[in-house]
Amino acid sequence: MTPPASHSRHAVALLLAVLAVGYWLASGYYGKELVAETAITAILAMSLSLLVGQAGLVSLGHAAYFGIGAYALAGFGQKLGWPPALAMAAAVAVGALLALVVGWVAVRLAGVFFIMITLAVGEMIHAWFLKDRSFGGVGGMSGVPRLDLSGIGVDLADPAQFALFALAVALLVYLLLDRLVLSPFGQTLRAIHQNEERARALGCPVGRYKLAAFVVAGAVAALAGTLAAQRSAFVSPELMTWTLSGEILIVVIVGGSGSLLGVSAAAALWIGLRHQLSTMTDHWMLAMGVIFVVLVLVAGDGIDGALRGLWRRIAARRAARRAA
Amino acid sequence: MTAPLLAVSGLHAHYGPSHVLQGIDLAVPAGGVVALLGRNGAGKSTTLKAIMGVVRPSAGSVAFAGQAIAGEATDRVARRGIAWVPETRAIFPSLSVEEHLTLAARRGGWGLDRIYDRFPRLRERRRSGGGTLSGGEQQMLTIARAMTTAPRLLLLDEPTEGLAPLIVEEIEAMLRSLKAEGMALLLVEQNLAFALAFADHVVLIGKGRVRWSGPPADFHGAAEAQAWLAV
Repeated sequence: MTPPASHSRHAVALLLAVLAVGYWLASGYYGKELVAETAITAILAMSLSLLVGQAGLVSLGHAAYFGIGAYALAGFGQKLGWPPALAMAAAVAVGALLALVVGWVAVRLAGVFFIMITLAVGEMIHAWFLKDRSFGGVGGMSGVPRLDLSGIGVDLADPAQFALFALAVALLVYLLLDRLVLSPFGQTLRAIHQNEERARALGCPVGRYKLAAFVVAGAVAALAGTLAAQRSAFVSPELMTWTLSGEILIVVIVGGSGSLLGVSAAAALWIGLRHQLSTMTDHWMLAMGVIFVVLVLVAGDGIDGALRGLWRRIAARRAARRAA
Repeated sequence: MTAPLLAVSGLHAHYGPSHVLQGIDLAVPAGGVVALLGRNGAGKSTTLKAIMGVVRPSAGSVAFAGQAIAGEATDRVARRGIAWVPETRAIFPSLSVEEHLTLAARRGGWGLDRIYDRFPRLRERRRSGGGTLSGGEQQMLTIARAMTTAPRLLLLDEPTEGLAPLIVEEIEAMLRSLKAEGMALLLVEQNLAFALAFADHVVLIGKGRVRWSGPPADFHGAAEAQAWLAV
């Protein structure tokens, strides 16, 4: 979908950020953890939104890039002892590289075949880290180094400060992806999504565009993974399960797949609900499932579509009242 | 005699088991206008699709500007300078009019000013989504979008079909001005009167083969041509 005008989008982004900071100020220790988790989930969801909502590529293996980012940070930062900033940049590059290799094959396939290959590759990578002892196998690996921001007076080992840092990164990712979505590159992705044959007939190298989107999404997911690894200073194969890929896909669909802010809001909803429900019942997964089924049934275009519909109705009613 | 801009010879194509094109020969000279006539299902649209590589030719050759392009990927064919205006128009519903015009723009193609001067209606609707355009606006936009890609040859598939008479006039005037500027056109057209008045050369297809070809002036005297077009 074409995003609404930039000032209204950025106003909503600011509102979301203010809400998050407000919650951060009001909440205790655990609330700050939730803010960090939400910010990381939002980054991961925004990266998948680029694939699903813009390019129309439904990946069911997106957690692999998230996990690879986390493990690469652990590998470069802890095993090789690189400075954390360098290790983080290298981890993002590894995510992009993995996406390049997988995407090279995957973007040639359409529909369910694309879903299957992303799922299969994700599972292969997950299985490898599950078995491989050098990264701790199923038990994972702790002691992942954090970025040193003491120069600007920030200590990322402090969960409260880390949450704000993750939020700032999420905002930055939003601004960058927002520009990308609006750029001619983003337009072309939407055109390909809507009518691939037509885009090709206009001279557009469809495969290369899809691959580029896949690489960007992989890199951003890896960035989210580096944050997840730093949050707990710990990595484990849990970060790359296909159920996480599925959860993120649900977040993207519930948010309104092409809307960066919609999927960010859905990420907050997902994390918040999970926290609330899991304290109330052991069957919180079931309850979440029901809630999200209802959400998708009520608002087919996700949170983004529902809010836009509401806004249009309010505007129409106002216009009608003015005319009367 | 110089080689034509587009030379199609012995072109065959299949849709599954059905043999849709059974050896099409035609040529479009640089700056020339060729009308492709025939009944529904004769293979006119498929000929255009086979040239574009949308339908893979099963035999035969297509040469553009002296280079063999049969079997090439559609996007490569397009970048060589062939623009295709399909019957379905294929507007992108969620892109605005202006986004359509910048999407595939290439150096040497028509700029926004030139397009908006030619089609003031598109300027009025520049911010509108493709999905909200009328049929006539969609057709103008499809032709305009093709012109942004700096084509040397335009393939048009029934550009005036189903449009209101006023819009038809506007599209026909647009095609005449393109011809006057020296654009080569291969035009699939149901409107016989316009096709005969406009084209330099007529190719009549029936059941996947060329049944008659010649200058428009000879068309009405050719009994076999009449027979293949009669409904």
